[in-house]
Amino acid sequence: MIETCFGIGALDSTYAFAVAAVIGGFFGFFLEQAGFGSSRKLAGIFYFRDMTVLKVMFTALLTAMLGLSYLTAFGWVKAESLYLLPTVYGAQVVGGLVFGIGFVMGGWCPGTAAAGLAAGKIDALIFLAGAVAGSILFNEMFGFVAPLYSLGGRGVQFVYATLGMPKSVFVFAFTAAAVICFWCAEYVERKISGRGKYLFSPFLTVFSLCLLLLAWGLSLIIPPVSGEAGIESGIMADVDSGKDHVEPEELAARLMAGDKGLVLVDIRPASEYRAFHICGAVSMEMPRLAAYLAPHKNRGTIVLYSNGMTHPAQARDSLARMGYRNVYILTDGLNGFIARCLKPASLRDEPLTPEQAARVAAWRRRFLEL
Amino acid sequence: MDIPRISKRRPYMNPYVAGIMLGVTLLASFLTLGAGLGASGGLARVAAYLESRIAPAHTAATVYFGKWGPQPLRYYLVFMLGGIFLGGAISAISSRRFSLRVERGHACAAPRRIFFAFAGGVLAGWASRLAQGCTSGQALTGGALLLTGSLVFMACVFAGGYAAARFVRSQWYD
Repeated sequence: MIETCFGIGALDSTYAFAVAAVIGGFFGFFLEQAGFGSSRKLAGIFYFRDMTVLKVMFTALLTAMLGLSYLTAFGWVKAESLYLLPTVYGAQVVGGLVFGIGFVMGGWCPGTAAAGLAAGKIDALIFLAGAVAGSILFNEMFGFVAPLYSLGGRGVQFVYATLGMPKSVFVFAFTAAAVICFWCAEYVERKISGRGKYLFSPFLTVFSLCLLLLAWGLSLIIPPVSGEAGIESGIMADVDSGKDHVEPEELAARLMAGDKGLVLVDIRPASEYRAFHICGAVSMEMPRLAAYLAPHKNRGTIVLYSNGMTHPAQARDSLARMGYRNVYILTDGLNGFIARCLKPASLRDEPLTPEQAARVAAWRRRFLEL
Repeated sequence: MDIPRISKRRPYMNPYVAGIMLGVTLLASFLTLGAGLGASGGLARVAAYLESRIAPAHTAATVYFGKWGPQPLRYYLVFMLGGIFLGGAISAISSRRFSLRVERGHACAAPRRIFFAFAGGVLAGWASRLAQGCTSGQALTGGALLLTGSLVFMACVFAGGYAAARFVRSQWYD
């Protein structure tokens, strides 16, 4: 298991700053090596003259996606230790369109402009000044754009869940589409500007096959289950692998991060809820549960808890049969949350690392309102 | 006596190899920081710093920049942005590609290119705040994590870019 700065809440530490600077160094180096220190080359994709942006960007995306998918499948890195950006449809559609216009107009995006400035491009400096001005403009008009900023917010959403397909199937389809794009890009370059030197090259052939093989190999590790027939076996598989659980630490981290896509439901009797509950939970007894959760079906993450695990597990299975794919139960229930997240370090049998102790202290402040 | 050629620009890296190296960099960022790459976030912090130097009380009272507190530059993406500049400089100088100029088509006057670069920067800076990221933080990072909104953002970037491309093409005419 790899612990990340985000996972232990240390993204604002000096260590994280140093790591970010080094990572940024490699990022800038390879951006410039790829030719992204040139606005003319970057803008080329929009005129089908130079498709380098497509090749570099999708290769980078696939490399990281496949690498991370394997590491996650092997259990070396957990989703809870990664910072996941929420999906906000309105903001991302409008933001994407306006950003695209700015990109083709300026010939830069923020990261490449920083690399371009380093390569001596004065237009990159001008673009960066514009981007700073644009950020200030956004701040000044935030009251006006705030509704758009949160329009269509769905919390953390994975595209395969949104589309209702198994992850491994989506990964393979996405990889295959990208490989087809690479070959089309080479073909277009050869037709329009006489380049496209990797078209039918042994390099691109081998590279394409490697990507497809890696994407296919993932399906051997993550078995695909979908459709009506798959629901029951899917429930069984999730129960068997513990995928229907959310660990208390992950829940605490997501609550701390203010994850808007998280719906935390306390299914104990209302009297117990009033006596004590996890900050941010809503009280909902079992009979009214399905009606209450309907708007959240397959949107964001629903976490159910009780004192133990029996009732939430039964509710979760029932909801899964009704087509809910985003319902999780809290491992060891409220008792587990208290024992694992809120119990002071001093009262524990096993010693905690300083990072863990700091995390527990932060959780106690947040959830116990000390 | 032969005079050695002192200035020979090296060709760019194979784009697929450069892509793999950027992907490995992104993966390293996931495994150490637990967060992906980003550039506009750092730039916005610089913007917040500059605005707070000009109008401290006003900036602190704004909703968006105000929540970043009195030291907006103490943020990992600011350091990453500095790293991008240094890494880019090492690459450009070692590959002998450094040249001080306004990049544009031969038939385009410099002021026109400067205008487009600034206007494009304003739009990209504004839009990256609205969408909570740019091509690095949303499209590349969020795309690699298979996040729905990030992939929607990426599709819209290309849609917006292709729709506007012909109106700004004059800056690249030779």
